[in-house]
Amino acid sequence: MAETGDLLHVVTNDDISPGRRAFGKAIVWASLALLAGTALVQTLDQSGTISLGLPNWRPTLYAYILFSVCLCWSQVLVRGEQGKRVLFVLPAALFVISLVVFPLIFGLIIAFSNWNLSSPDGRQFNGLDNVRQMWADPFYWNALGNMIRYLLAIIVEYAIAFGLALLLNAQIRGRKFFRVAFLLPLMLSPVAVSWMVGKSMLELRFGPIARLARFLGWDNPTFFSSPEMARFTIMVLDAWTYIPFMMIMILAGLQAIPKDVQEAARVDGASPWRGFWEVTFPLMLPVSITAILIRIIFKLKLADIIINLTSGGPGGATDSVTSFIYREYRDRSNVGYGTLLAMVYLVLIIIFMTVLMKVADRWMRPKY
Amino acid sequence: MKVEIYNALMARSAMTRRGVLKGAAGLGGLAALGGLGLGAGARPALAQDNLRAEILKIPGVGAGSPTDADWQKVGEMCLGPTKANVAEGEFVGVELTFMGLNNQNLHNFLFRGFLKPWETYTGAKINWIDLAQADYNPRLQQSIATGTVDFDIIEMGAPFEGDTAGQGLLDPMPDWVATQIEADDLVAYLKPPVGTWDGKTYRINIDGDCHTLSYRKDYVGEGSISGLAEMPRHWDEVNAMSIALKGKTDPLTGQPAYGFLDPLKGWGGFGFYFLEDRATAYVKHPDDRAFLFDPDTMKPRVNNPGWVQAIQDVMDLIAAGAYPPDQINADPGTTAFQQFLAGTGGALTWWGDVGSMARTSDTSVVGDVVSFDINPGAKKVYNHKAGAWEEKENFAPNLAYLGWGIYVTKNVSGDEKKRKAAWSAAAHLGGKDISLWMAAYPSGFQPYRNSHFNFDEWEAAGYDRAYIEDYLGSNRDSYNHPNAAIEPRIPGIFQYYSVAEDELAKGYAGQYKSAQETADAIAAAWEKITDQIGRENQIKLYKASLGM
Repeated sequence: MAETGDLLHVVTNDDISPGRRAFGKAIVWASLALLAGTALVQTLDQSGTISLGLPNWRPTLYAYILFSVCLCWSQVLVRGEQGKRVLFVLPAALFVISLVVFPLIFGLIIAFSNWNLSSPDGRQFNGLDNVRQMWADPFYWNALGNMIRYLLAIIVEYAIAFGLALLLNAQIRGRKFFRVAFLLPLMLSPVAVSWMVGKSMLELRFGPIARLARFLGWDNPTFFSSPEMARFTIMVLDAWTYIPFMMIMILAGLQAIPKDVQEAARVDGASPWRGFWEVTFPLMLPVSITAILIRIIFKLKLADIIINLTSGGPGGATDSVTSFIYREYRDRSNVGYGTLLAMVYLVLIIIFMTVLMKVADRWMRPKY
Repeated sequence: MKVEIYNALMARSAMTRRGVLKGAAGLGGLAALGGLGLGAGARPALAQDNLRAEILKIPGVGAGSPTDADWQKVGEMCLGPTKANVAEGEFVGVELTFMGLNNQNLHNFLFRGFLKPWETYTGAKINWIDLAQADYNPRLQQSIATGTVDFDIIEMGAPFEGDTAGQGLLDPMPDWVATQIEADDLVAYLKPPVGTWDGKTYRINIDGDCHTLSYRKDYVGEGSISGLAEMPRHWDEVNAMSIALKGKTDPLTGQPAYGFLDPLKGWGGFGFYFLEDRATAYVKHPDDRAFLFDPDTMKPRVNNPGWVQAIQDVMDLIAAGAYPPDQINADPGTTAFQQFLAGTGGALTWWGDVGSMARTSDTSVVGDVVSFDINPGAKKVYNHKAGAWEEKENFAPNLAYLGWGIYVTKNVSGDEKKRKAAWSAAAHLGGKDISLWMAAYPSGFQPYRNSHFNFDEWEAAGYDRAYIEDYLGSNRDSYNHPNAAIEPRIPGIFQYYSVAEDELAKGYAGQYKSAQETADAIAAAWEKITDQIGRENQIKLYKASLGM
């Protein structure tokens, strides 16, 4: 038994021989070499450099599984008891890597390929052609421009959600009923919203909202005929669905604020507005930022309502990046280009969200 | 028959009970005659007539929706042609996989019932892949792209022939099959080159499709709001009617009246068919089979003066405010089911569903005032080869989508027994008599044989003759029109349509300066698709699809 070191956690004292250690390292390198070799051979086979006629990538998958097993085994062989602890996490980590890294690699390969499912030539590497096409694609830039507009609408959504949360946090009659009622839109699928509200209630002749608008003096209550109006309608429908989500998060935050803080402010003579603006609002900043960040993530995926209601029209005015990619990918089977657009969008989202979180982090840091 | 159409006819028949009884009596008489005839060894023709009358009695027109038992019974009764070509138990041990749709619990559901007695007789076993319509194209394309075609028989629309037959994935039809299904009976447009590639036939037809004109009878005639004696037959007159109706009131609904309804929003590529309805009249020259591309170069014709005229016609109506206010956001489904059937608009072009649903849809108010015709024509036609307009009347019904067919894949080509079994199963579904039943009862399929237009059979079965003649007549006249515009069956045809929808949407929204600029943008996008899919191959396949 060792006299020094990690005495508390070591169950058994490993006495690992150099031979065992060497064997452990050898199986890792051997299986890694096998994996690399198999992947290389399959790549050459796929590219037509050699001809083995392998129907799928299973040999590489099996080599990866073998490598994973050897890696786990070697942990025990080389590190003994410490290695066994690693086994609690390593298989899961390898599994996650296989589900994230491999698809990402394949996704990138596809993104830099000319792959139209109707082409008899199949997938062909085309370098940066897809990037160049994207650069000159007015539909994609138009959709990105629309996304900025959609994102800006979140500010208004946040203000409304905060207002509603304050109302529901106040001592009003039927509070519980309103809490459930305000949550209902969130429980609806956006597809249902687009059909029930967008296609039925907003229907020009018979829709109740259109009738009401007509009753109120709007002669031709068309909600999708002009680009601005169509975009606004999409924003409203999306907001109607997701404001309850922000509202419920803010409400939870409001309820977590100790009441004595507000009481102390009132004792000090703060008006209701100052009590809100200088006490409640700053205290709610972390929750607000979280709610807004999650809402932005939801908003960046906006597609279903647009696909169902406007197909991106009129003239691309309501197109989102996702709805455009959907058309490019699904209707036109343009897998390579569609994947590149999605990858670029992913990178843009990562950069945008990282910057946003940094800014939010700095903003939320106490200034005193 | 499509469900909606069947329901419409039932609604119609309910109003003419006398006709039904008369028909039933006639049918009973026919059956009795047939029964006697059979017993006395009557002529085969009479036996077949009797069979056709007998199957039309299952379950009986107006006797509720057919069930699996009915489908099996019909399948059993129509086994004659199979028995002539296949010995009992000949396919024992053969397993086939059939991929098809499950729309409205029809399609594959019917096929299962029809093929059950076939399986019992031949000894073969069929495994089924059922797909929703929306999943069909992605499933097919992915199977092709990844080399995982795991079905032996497939129910498929003709536009996909480019993706399958064009890539050598299908098995050519043996001659005995053509004889068994009596392929000569097909309506003109379904005969070769449709269904063929490089001179080989691959398709067993089970359906027909085309666009026809549905219009409101109460918008025309003496004292009508249009003041026209009859529905205009040319697009310029249709446009004039639309503009003239502005400000008038619909006689049925009391709402504002509108003329022709063009869907101005895309529909996953299907919306392009509706611009085609206008354009074919201007660009489908009787001496030229092609109207979308130049067969020798695949250079798009979509920006030639004929197509531009069609786009301009639509833009003129937008500029004149002749459409309902939200038309820019109206897809074909909206124009048909939310507008026309609900009393908005005087006319539209669509598949067969519209006129029939007029009688069954709860929101329909036009059931008694709807009538049909072939698509309008034009007073001039652009001769692309000559590069000039010709001032002459031109009609070119748009045979949009071409209907469903049954195909056999290459998977069975190496095994003669399996191959024969697959074709025998397909031929059973495409048989002449069983097709009459499918045309007459809810099946998801339209009539597609000349023998389907024998209105006496329909009347004897209990249908209302006037309606059948009006409705089916417009289909028949479109199918058999000598200058019908037949869809090119090239790979990725819906990609061309889809991108055209995007560009048209921009044009209609005023983002392009003119119809010509819009058409040029479509042409440029089409060129890109052609280059991506492979121009030489597209040229070869386009020519093959045109029978050139």
